[in-house]
Amino acid sequence: MKCAEVYPNLSAFALGGLEPAETAEVRHHLASCSSCRKELRELEEVNHALEAAPSPSADPPVYLRDEILARVRAEQLSPSKKEESEESSSLEEHSRSSRTSRFNRFKGLRTILPSVAAAALVAIIALGVFFGFLREEAPVATIQLVPTPQEAGGLKGYWGVAEIRPQHSGNQQVELKLNNFEEPKPNSYYELWFVSGDRRISAGSFTSVGKGETRVLLNVPPEASNYHTLLITEKHIDKDPAASNEEVALEGEMP
Amino acid sequence: MNIAVRDLLDSDKRQRSSHPVMSRRTDRLSDEQLMTNLGGVEVEAALSELYDRYSRTIFGVGLNILGDRSLAEELVQEVYLKVWRSSHTFDRSRGSFSTWLYRVTRSVALDLYRKRAHRVRPVSDGDSHIAIIRDSSAEPQEVVDESWLSWRVSRALEMLDAPHREVIDLAYFGGLTQREISERTGVPLGTVKTRTASAYKRLRKELSVQDTSRAAIR
Repeated sequence: MKCAEVYPNLSAFALGGLEPAETAEVRHHLASCSSCRKELRELEEVNHALEAAPSPSADPPVYLRDEILARVRAEQLSPSKKEESEESSSLEEHSRSSRTSRFNRFKGLRTILPSVAAAALVAIIALGVFFGFLREEAPVATIQLVPTPQEAGGLKGYWGVAEIRPQHSGNQQVELKLNNFEEPKPNSYYELWFVSGDRRISAGSFTSVGKGETRVLLNVPPEASNYHTLLITEKHIDKDPAASNEEVALEGEMP
Repeated sequence: MNIAVRDLLDSDKRQRSSHPVMSRRTDRLSDEQLMTNLGGVEVEAALSELYDRYSRTIFGVGLNILGDRSLAEELVQEVYLKVWRSSHTFDRSRGSFSTWLYRVTRSVALDLYRKRAHRVRPVSDGDSHIAIIRDSSAEPQEVVDESWLSWRVSRALEMLDAPHREVIDLAYFGGLTQREISERTGVPLGTVKTRTASAYKRLRKELSVQDTSRAAIR
């Protein structure tokens, strides 16, 4: 067998994708051809590199592009966000700036929230436009989440906001930004609920990093627009997921 | 590698589908030109085109680093928002857009990695092949740095056209022989072999052309 006949099969050989008879022929040729052995080594380096490749079936979800574009639109409507980011001159600086600006937003809230939390224990501030108006365009509803009475007994200094963004799919994206929200107990997790009377819809479960800011992206179906109370509960993974087995950590309400 | 061949074929179709926002003109612009457009009125078309070109790489590398689909989704979102917000910091004289984007991705991934919960989250059976659970003893920086090779390989694969990408997906990731690929796709065996050889040649070229120096990603 000549090199010209072996060459088209070398990649398949490196992949182990030839039939047994073809494999034997290539092996026989390689035993006496240093040029093809060198070529094979280079092809095997490609094989080695492919081991580092992300899974070919790992596609981002189809809604993600729309969510990104919606957030860009929303930020364009409130350009201060972008201006804050543009102050930084490098990427790393930008990253720090972005985090700092978010922190400052919470820091500003910190000056007013403790008194509200201590007195009423549930503070509700809604900004933007409520769900029903959030169809295609991007006014954002922001719901303040504060400790429930039992949790606030110790005034742990944590709170959060839930930002609602409409999606083209009709779903509502909920971005939680939680400040100093402690990690759940061992084998427990948090879950966000939209509640109306004794009915409720889960927006999904998550965990928290404790000190600093935790950001979580969740989604709820359009029906959640009729559920005006937001609760973040903590549950143990081994217990029945019934409401009786959970502790409410944060609560917020839309007008 | 345990990946269903049907998933590979479906994935390839998804990969090739583009968003209606993208215009033909945008399709032909270079990455660098699209970055310039991010500062103008065509921001959505430019961002959407960059999404088509790079989101699979960011998501895939994010999965490798973070081992969690929801975090990888968050990574994609944050990276594209950062690209938009920081487009003015991109300097083409300092390197390619791909290298710059990798640095953005690495920076965001590192933040997310540090925030990630310590415990392993359960994943459904269907996702088990992509939920790579990292050794918790690995340092975040070390884990993220490993992603440079992953990024380069992903970009090289993205450079392949659909027929060549298909044979690589089926042969390497799907574990099919050349004959099995021919039977499954209806493409003549000789053509499958030619495409495989051609795809490997292209991959070898792309991987050698891309800037592999570590300085490029610092």
